[in-house]
Amino acid sequence: MDPRAQNPWLPDRRRFLAHSASALGTAALATLLSGDARGAVSPDDADAPSGLPHFKPRAKRVIYLFQSGAPSQLDLFDYKPALRDVQGSELPDSVRKGQRLTGMTSRQASFPIAASKYRFAQHGQGGAWLSELLPHTARVADELCFVKSLHTEAINHDPAVTFFQTGAQLAGRPSIGSWLSYGLGSENRDLPAFVAMISQGSGNPTDQPLYDRLWGSGFLPSKYQGVKFRSVGDPVLNLSNPPGIDSRARRAMLNDLGALNQLKLDAFGDPEIATRIAQYELAFRMQSSVPELTSVADEPASVFEMYGPESRTPGTFAANCLLARRLCERGVRFVQLFHRGWDQHVHLPQQIEAQCRDTDQASAALVADLKQRGLLDDTLVVWGGEFGRTVYCQGKLTRDDYGRDHHPRCFTVWLAGAGIRAGTTYGQTDDHSYNITADPVHVHDLHATILACLGIDHTRLTFKFQGRHHRLTDVRGQVVNGILA
Amino acid sequence: MRARGCRNLMLDHSIRPRRPSATHDPECRRASATIRAVAIVIATLAATCGALADEDRQFNRDVRPILSDNCFQCHGPDSAQRKAELRLDVEASAKRDRDGSRPIVPGRLDESALYARITSTDPELRMPPPTSGKKLSAAQIDVLARWIRAGAAWERHWAFIPPQRPVPPSVQRRDWPRNPIDAFILARLEAEQLAPAPEADRTTLARRVTLDLTGLPPTPAEVDAFVTDDSADAYQRLVDRLLASPRFGEQMAARWLDAARYADTSGYQTDGPRVMWRWRDWVIEAFNHNLAFDRFTIEQLAGDLLPAATLDERIASGFNRNHRGNSEGGIIPEEYAVEYVVDRVDTTATVWLGLTVACARCHDHKFDPFSQREFYQLFAFFNNVPEKGRAIKVGNSPPFIKAPTRHQQQQLQALEAQRLAAEHALAQLEGELAAGESRWSAGFSSATPLPWAPSDHLLAQFPLNENDFDGTRTVNAGDVANFGYFDRLTLSAWIRPRADTGTIMARMAEQADAEGYSLQLAGGRLQVNLVKRWLDDAVRVETAEPLAIDRLQHVAVTYDGSRAAAGVKIFVDGRPQATRILLDELNQSFSTSEPLRLGGGGPGPAFRGLLDEVRIDKTDLPTDEIALLATRDTIDAICSLAPADRTRAQSAKLRAYYLAEHAPQPIRAARKQVLELAQQQRDLEESFPTTMVMQELPVPRESFVLVRGQYDKPGERVTAGVPASLPPLPTTSPDRLALARWLVDPAHPLTARVIVNRLWQAHFGTGLVKTVDDFGAQGDPPSHAALLDWLATELVASGWNLKALQRAIVSSATYRQSSRVTPRELERDPDNRLLARGPRFRFSAEMIRDASLAASGLLVEEFGGPSVHPYQPPGLWKELTGGGDATQDHGANLYRRSLYTFWKRTIQPPSMMTFDASGREACSVRVARTNTPLQALALMNEVTFVEAARMLAQRVMQETGPAPSERITLAFRLVLARRPSEQELRILRSSFERRLAEFREDPAAAAALLHVGEAPAAAALDACELAAYATVANLILNLDEAVTKE
Repeated sequence: MDPRAQNPWLPDRRRFLAHSASALGTAALATLLSGDARGAVSPDDADAPSGLPHFKPRAKRVIYLFQSGAPSQLDLFDYKPALRDVQGSELPDSVRKGQRLTGMTSRQASFPIAASKYRFAQHGQGGAWLSELLPHTARVADELCFVKSLHTEAINHDPAVTFFQTGAQLAGRPSIGSWLSYGLGSENRDLPAFVAMISQGSGNPTDQPLYDRLWGSGFLPSKYQGVKFRSVGDPVLNLSNPPGIDSRARRAMLNDLGALNQLKLDAFGDPEIATRIAQYELAFRMQSSVPELTSVADEPASVFEMYGPESRTPGTFAANCLLARRLCERGVRFVQLFHRGWDQHVHLPQQIEAQCRDTDQASAALVADLKQRGLLDDTLVVWGGEFGRTVYCQGKLTRDDYGRDHHPRCFTVWLAGAGIRAGTTYGQTDDHSYNITADPVHVHDLHATILACLGIDHTRLTFKFQGRHHRLTDVRGQVVNGILA
Repeated sequence: MRARGCRNLMLDHSIRPRRPSATHDPECRRASATIRAVAIVIATLAATCGALADEDRQFNRDVRPILSDNCFQCHGPDSAQRKAELRLDVEASAKRDRDGSRPIVPGRLDESALYARITSTDPELRMPPPTSGKKLSAAQIDVLARWIRAGAAWERHWAFIPPQRPVPPSVQRRDWPRNPIDAFILARLEAEQLAPAPEADRTTLARRVTLDLTGLPPTPAEVDAFVTDDSADAYQRLVDRLLASPRFGEQMAARWLDAARYADTSGYQTDGPRVMWRWRDWVIEAFNHNLAFDRFTIEQLAGDLLPAATLDERIASGFNRNHRGNSEGGIIPEEYAVEYVVDRVDTTATVWLGLTVACARCHDHKFDPFSQREFYQLFAFFNNVPEKGRAIKVGNSPPFIKAPTRHQQQQLQALEAQRLAAEHALAQLEGELAAGESRWSAGFSSATPLPWAPSDHLLAQFPLNENDFDGTRTVNAGDVANFGYFDRLTLSAWIRPRADTGTIMARMAEQADAEGYSLQLAGGRLQVNLVKRWLDDAVRVETAEPLAIDRLQHVAVTYDGSRAAAGVKIFVDGRPQATRILLDELNQSFSTSEPLRLGGGGPGPAFRGLLDEVRIDKTDLPTDEIALLATRDTIDAICSLAPADRTRAQSAKLRAYYLAEHAPQPIRAARKQVLELAQQQRDLEESFPTTMVMQELPVPRESFVLVRGQYDKPGERVTAGVPASLPPLPTTSPDRLALARWLVDPAHPLTARVIVNRLWQAHFGTGLVKTVDDFGAQGDPPSHAALLDWLATELVASGWNLKALQRAIVSSATYRQSSRVTPRELERDPDNRLLARGPRFRFSAEMIRDASLAASGLLVEEFGGPSVHPYQPPGLWKELTGGGDATQDHGANLYRRSLYTFWKRTIQPPSMMTFDASGREACSVRVARTNTPLQALALMNEVTFVEAARMLAQRVMQETGPAPSERITLAFRLVLARRPSEQELRILRSSFERRLAEFREDPAAAAALLHVGEAPAAAALDACELAAYATVANLILNLDEAVTKE
């Protein structure tokens, strides 16, 4: 069955309504929208791709915990014990191989090696190496698959984050969540298919700016763009009625509005009017479904304990993780969290410790919570940033303090849940965590793999724009079967 | 997807009736033949019948799209991807003998290898290959088969053939056409056996054309004037009035700003503010003055290169500086320098050529005849700007110019005249001054030495005269002279150094990587550092020559607040020094909380030797004043010399001292006047907005083919040129000006078509070529090819007169049709491509807000100026950037037209985006119209629209009598132009009465509603009644019709 058929958010209902508009009364429409619309929407939808999913999906939805700013793989995941012995010595040219550096350090007089100051240990049956900064993640290590061989092309934040989100470094392409809402729609008629949430890291309280394009729809119709849930004011902009208008008054207004629009529809026959009537009804339903979703008052104390004390504070990463689970329970297709503050050019230890306090417990709790609710079976969870960090020190190197510049050549991302080979590690880097020595995974490959988990052949989810059939993975991307169960 | 692609293809380029019964309709075929018989070239006409005779298969319309979409990727223009050396985009290659077989043998399906391959059941042979992800439908194979059988006639791609002026076709209903546009539309309708819709009623028409030409709804008075005007030219006069309205240019500019990717910030991560509104205002004025489109083009693409370019022409050239600029720390500037040029090529090609040339950045174009080399030839036109890859974080990136408004230009002229007069007056007093000085100095004597220096801009002074700076000792001067990168400043001192390295003064921590500013000796050279980050965010300038050690000398440095190394000057003993720029990368302020230190500070060693008369001025002192500081002699000492024995510097110092302290009052007053006027002029000039412009390097930068489009992989060197598939550039010295003139050459096949097509899109919702941004092989063929050519040639023939062309469009019977539609008509032509009815579609994002403001009476119709900050959800910027929010404006700026709203590229105004505005990160000429619940929420609840509803209610209460029907009718008319029907009025009245009763029960709710937005509610009005009308107004503003042109 076409899952789009359930989702009045997505399809352009013009074709369907064109057939029925004149015969359709408001009451009938209301029934149609509140009841079972399946099969009623014409598959001959102007925008929607057909034939999806292409094959049996392992996952129905994705929660992507984006760590913006680029967490240091060297201090969290990619254990390089030998570096302690060469602490402070110059990064060998044989490792760097003339690869480009950012303008922030390319003029540095020297490139001293900075070993991680943190202890690492192996965890779980799979024996994954994790640093002491991630004690909670360590406890769910056997649910995770660590990919240590991610690599990207961009060396600065904006193009790199944009690349991760859209498959291109420059603005203009649809974000991954938009591709999924275009391709698969949502499972919930009253909620958007793609929700984004932002939190500020405490490690670096001003970095890094984010941009609406990261959840934008690019050249896809704007109805596929992610809806940003906010922690201040209305969770969705303009959700609340203005002061002095309560829900009952709004309902009455909508009845009158519907009646007047129906008169217009009867007289003019333009199916856009019928669509507008339907969208107002949907807006009204969102006015109750979204607050119901974002109010966590019904969660037991044990849940807050699990996600950590910050989960009671709206707008924190932990609170957003809890909301992500609630969205996931309600069938939202793609939930993406953006946690800022991972750009540790200087004072890395002090900053990264704060970042890990923000994220470690809640990330692990989310995985465990999904698991205990049976949702991990059909939910894919992804955790990672836009590139890695250099083994050499940026700025002053002391025993306890160092900084790291941007490093696109290798970094770590973990995945969990539906379709993922849990408790494993994939890919290898050299002794300096500078180059990949086995099983490289490009950003396009990760995208292809995420789509594959959702039953999508990444070469076949396309949209024609300016003469070209565009896709998320551009002209590349290989599904990484090694991380799939 | 594949299937969908085909379906779209069929839908988009044929617009065929769906009824299979039409297939063999002899009437239909006869009609088609008749029209051909009158020798009218309408390419699309042959599509009038469901089934076409074989000979009706037209290459451009039917065949090329199939080949392009399915075959060109491997058998097209891209030489690198080409398989089996076969091209299906070139006739000769497609019909050439290849080892005894030919891909296409005209008339012989059985001998055509192409046909064999596309119908083969062997997956090894089948084309396109399954791995390509492409598949031909049975219908497409049938098209190709019929075309080959009929002779496989080839045509050049239609868009590359210059338009010939077609003769408007004759039609049966001769009384319907109002102008030639209608003949083309009607001929097609008649061929389709469709009849045009009746003319829309006059009220609808007045609203439609007013919205289209001004972006605002007509007032009830304007509607009444038109409806009751029964003169024959009433409509023409209405149109003329609208075209002459200053609102016309604003409406036109809105879409042009999308195309030009205009914004008020620079985009990318930092997304700091920039100042380009002078360019935006130029565009609005150009549309209002009906600047001919060829001139409009030339000035925007190459205004800077016009002979004796005026300020306006230079401002216009900012079109190609509107692209984003990356100022993120650590970027590799060369990478982004390339992106800017690519953006210019891409934007220029999209806006004027309607071509997707950008595809050829990394490889030969896969569908259209553009090689990668040709892309970089276009690149070379735009690669000569003296710019950096790393953009300025806050403000405009060079090159930019001061761009005073007309009012400021007048102010400057007046001030300059005053200043010249004052200088003249002072000069008149020269004789008196010299005589006075001579008398005074002859009589002057002093028991103690009298040091003196000018002090107009003095900030701090430290007469140290201390010789014991030994490399360890520094003087903490406290929190003074905390300059930032926009500040002008002068640092100066007398020094006798004992070592060639040491810091003279600094506001900078004494540690590595500290930020701030410093003046120091470095290896003997006098060096200035203005530092945010030592390696890549700093200005570092030093003297070319080392200074003498152990010699007393005066050193000074000035900085003009320009953030550029060029704004730093170094002086030794009063003389400007040749300098070396070591770093010119300052992008953030170097202001710090560190104290000012003398003899040290910063990471380097402290000073050794003598320091005296350290002083800081809060401006960049001119050279002659620096010379005064560098003249150590005291006034008494100078006076004691015979005038003939004084050096020039001594004389100058004496003169300055006398002028400042002892000259007769009239002379001092005259001097004061000159100084004050000069300062006023400087202040005025500093207040001028700047604007980024195009400019050419004296020696053009070399351009290369970039392998795979990568900035660091230069290949073959190229020079500026245009693609071979387009007309040649008629000049031997290709530059941007030549390119601009080439674009608007009347013989150019694309420019005029592309422009009229976008105007058509603006009025009818869809272009005649639906893919407004792709006139290439992958684009949609025109629905009315001859009409497109007529309009294009008409535009050129009219002298590129945009107003005249729009007058023709909105005057046509086609445009004036009613937009009502029956289910049958909808079934037949759901997207209204045949135009058997008038346009009906949702407003643009700008129009939705502007129309609500207009109806409510809140709209402030004021032209131009800096962009404004209307209501914005609190925390919107902060939650994404961690920085501050926009400071919301108050008063009139809340109600300006939406095109004046401050546009932050990475966090766009949310309601604008909800209504499908273009994001402005890149060029966009497509128009999107979605219909979503977020739109409903915005219209119902957003402060702008709630306030508008409230003020609309207030307006109708104030402007009419007390009868609810009367008030509701006026509100309805203000929004929709028409009067409500009885049924509509009944619903609205009962809504009002119900709400009124509820508010009477709960007056607090009414009061709360009346506090939404900053416009005050009229205290004299009954609050409950006003609130009830506000809810009715909210209801009206939310009607589908309220946001729809119909």
